[in-house]
Amino acid sequence: MPPRLRNYFAFGVAAALALAAGIGLAMFDRTPADTTSLLALSLPDSAGKLQSMAQWRGKVLVVNFWATWCAPCREEMPDFVRAQQEYGAKGLQIVGIAADNADKVQQFAEEIKLNYPALIGGYGAMDLSKELGNSLVALPFTLVLDRQGKVAYTHLGPVKADKFREVITKLL
Amino acid sequence: MTERLARLLVFAAALTFALAAVGQARPLSPDKAFLFSARAVDAETVEARFTIADGYYLYRDKIHFALDPASGALLTPALPAGKVKQDEFFGRVETYRGSVTVNLAIRNFTPGKPLLIRAESQGCADIGICYPPTTQTATVALPAGSVAPSAPETPKKTWFNLVSER
Repeated sequence: MPPRLRNYFAFGVAAALALAAGIGLAMFDRTPADTTSLLALSLPDSAGKLQSMAQWRGKVLVVNFWATWCAPCREEMPDFVRAQQEYGAKGLQIVGIAADNADKVQQFAEEIKLNYPALIGGYGAMDLSKELGNSLVALPFTLVLDRQGKVAYTHLGPVKADKFREVITKLL
Repeated sequence: MTERLARLLVFAAALTFALAAVGQARPLSPDKAFLFSARAVDAETVEARFTIADGYYLYRDKIHFALDPASGALLTPALPAGKVKQDEFFGRVETYRGSVTVNLAIRNFTPGKPLLIRAESQGCADIGICYPPTTQTATVALPAGSVAPSAPETPKKTWFNLVSER
């Protein structure tokens, strides 16, 4: 490639990367959501007992919005079960909020031996997740809050196991 | 001058490429992923269609159609067979990709008067996300033809509950 052409090529590639990164950041990296209303919330668990989010203050809190009608949500949950088992004693608390009904949630929770609370949010959970940055209102949507209750990580779609471990171990 | 123009062209190409790359990375909203449309096919039939974007799919048993009872009654025939999938939790489920078309028989309507068809659907994207049930609408008017609307029948499904229990 002649030097001048190579310059153009390099310039083009660099410009494309910079633009993609810039546009990507503008689209996805919004100001971290305010978690005040989330942490003030109380929701019933699958047994019908009201659980307040405030009880987990001070822990590294992972909030996973899911539903039984969402296959990718169900598929990633065994990894959350393993993470809760492994890091629970160190201060990790995973909480699932299901856009679903209690019967289905209970049935699935038993099936995978869920070891963390599964709260029932109904379709209202979808609106709540939207306020927390789930602009597409799709599932699964996962938030990781640090011990101060600030959003450290959000992700739409199944969380990659190694990335998830990297995020939580940094906060624990 | 030529050089400046060339540089500008390269920059424009880069911008297009960047926009395309980012556009692809962002999943579609459900009304775009599962585009609903309706058209009249004869004096008392409406063809309802979901045009499903590449990489997205709909669940057969989550598709429901409804018509405002004031405008008429709607008979939904069995939906076409979908691709059978074995779901670990729900068992046998059927899904559609590409598109799905259903002929809706309309009864007890006023010819020429626009009908508001509501379609509820629920689907997912291959990248591993699912959307909650979504309702879309389309307006269609059946022609004021020679076929008179038939006597009212019991609609198979009335105005459906917008938040279906699953």
